[in-house]
Amino acid sequence: MPKPLPTESQDSSFYEKHAKVYPREVHGLFATLRVTGVLVLLGIYYFVPWFRWNDRQAVLFDLPERRFYIFDLTFWPQDFFYLAVILIIAGLSLFFFTALAGRLWCGYACPQTVWTEVFLWIERKIEGDRNKQIKLDKAPMSKAKFWRKSLKHCIWIIFSAWTGFTFVGYFTPITELGQSIMQLNLGPWEWFWTIFYSAATYGNAGWMREQVCIYMCPYARFQSAMFDRNTLIISYDQDRGEPRGSRNKSEDPKSRGLGDCIDCKLCVQVCPTGIDIREGLQYQCIGCAACVDVCNQVMDKMGYPSNLVSYTTQNAIDGLKTRVMRPRIIIYSLVLLGLTVALVYSMATRIPLELDIIRDRTALFRTTPTGYIENIYTLKIANKDTVTHDYNLVAQTTFDSRFQMRENTIRVEAGESGTFTATIQADPVQLKSMSEKVTFTLTSTDNPQLTVTETGVFIGPVR
Amino acid sequence: MEAGAEFIGGVEVQNNVPVIQKLIAVLWPSFLTAGVATILFFTAFDPQLIMSVSGYGTVSRLGGYTIGFFLFWILTAGSCALTCYFQRPCSTRQD
Repeated sequence: MPKPLPTESQDSSFYEKHAKVYPREVHGLFATLRVTGVLVLLGIYYFVPWFRWNDRQAVLFDLPERRFYIFDLTFWPQDFFYLAVILIIAGLSLFFFTALAGRLWCGYACPQTVWTEVFLWIERKIEGDRNKQIKLDKAPMSKAKFWRKSLKHCIWIIFSAWTGFTFVGYFTPITELGQSIMQLNLGPWEWFWTIFYSAATYGNAGWMREQVCIYMCPYARFQSAMFDRNTLIISYDQDRGEPRGSRNKSEDPKSRGLGDCIDCKLCVQVCPTGIDIREGLQYQCIGCAACVDVCNQVMDKMGYPSNLVSYTTQNAIDGLKTRVMRPRIIIYSLVLLGLTVALVYSMATRIPLELDIIRDRTALFRTTPTGYIENIYTLKIANKDTVTHDYNLVAQTTFDSRFQMRENTIRVEAGESGTFTATIQADPVQLKSMSEKVTFTLTSTDNPQLTVTETGVFIGPVR
Repeated sequence: MEAGAEFIGGVEVQNNVPVIQKLIAVLWPSFLTAGVATILFFTAFDPQLIMSVSGYGTVSRLGGYTIGFFLFWILTAGSCALTCYFQRPCSTRQD
């Protein structure tokens, strides 16, 4: 008899059947912090593309032109290095803050959280609070239900469309994008990405919500690796709360052998991922502290001390001392500091000029009628500055040579690149070897600081 | 296809992962990696130049990026799907 092959989930499904979560509205310190975070972050997101700087959009990742503009800085594809360093810094910051304070990112700053918060707010305004929403969903379809649901989806879609439009506005100039959308003559790709991003917002914040965090987010899966016993987590004080049970406010819980948890289940109702924090730390917990806020209100009402559910650390729970400065934190902060300083330094000292020397590939060299050896070079000059410059080019050789530019002036417009041609001629008797080094120095005529040096080779006949 | 028992190589295998989770497991990681690949690739190569040099006619840069992104996505989704497929237990030799 063949034995059934072992599978990971023989009898119980790894994934539970999805039940809709209706997070209850919550007020309190952490809810206020989150709403502030939402307003600030979304404010930045929706406002930044409209901000003007020197007659152009201040922040524009101009994909069609292959230039990134951030205020006075212009980045070219060759500057990808900076983007890579910025991404590494962002990743390390995430590690640092996770080790220090758990899932701060998830609870307060993640776009999924932020947009879901807005969608929940719209839903609450239209369908009412948690109980009304549950009732409405259970009720059979009626005119009133249909109207409410349609209104909700309409507003969600309008909000998503604005979000998608703003997103594309980071990549193509937003004022022109707005005009062409008004006249409905957007390019096909702009249409596509606006609709794509809008649909993603609508789907993720309206429908998927906590499932994105639980099933789709890679960070949610590996964040626990950054946790240690000193990391800030949200935890229920089991020793104080258990045994849980309902009671009258006037009763002394001790006389009935009860702990401080009155088992009101509000902590479960406010949870956006629908877990019970009293069961301990779970990977579904995004650290939003909604349960902390609501439990503290209940504790206040009961006249019990607050923080039955609170931000704490494993060490604090076990009655040990919490250490903030530990090797992990020190190493993360040092690396982070080092990278940030290096990035700022290299950006500050960055010379917005690039020179590429390309030797003529068709012939290694040419012999002139007067018997001189001539090499031809194509020079690609990229002016990454925000103003137009004229440049001077000097070629230094170890042998006697005649250097000449085909063009009379080397002028490159701001943010443009130009192609120029230069020739170097030398008497063959002067050449010591077949290949000689040439140093090209390009300097701006109006600013001697603006200078780059590149080396090339001068090729002569075999000796 | 619903979650439940499945017969693979004549062996009954429990297959409790819902279809939607399988789809997410294929489409989502491939979306992320395709995004990274698009950024890296088009930082180095200009789609307009590639298209004109290889004789595909003219396409706007934004169009080039979009086509590139979806090509990458198809490729990465393909490998994700293959991984998913090969993860299924295959029939063992029966003595």
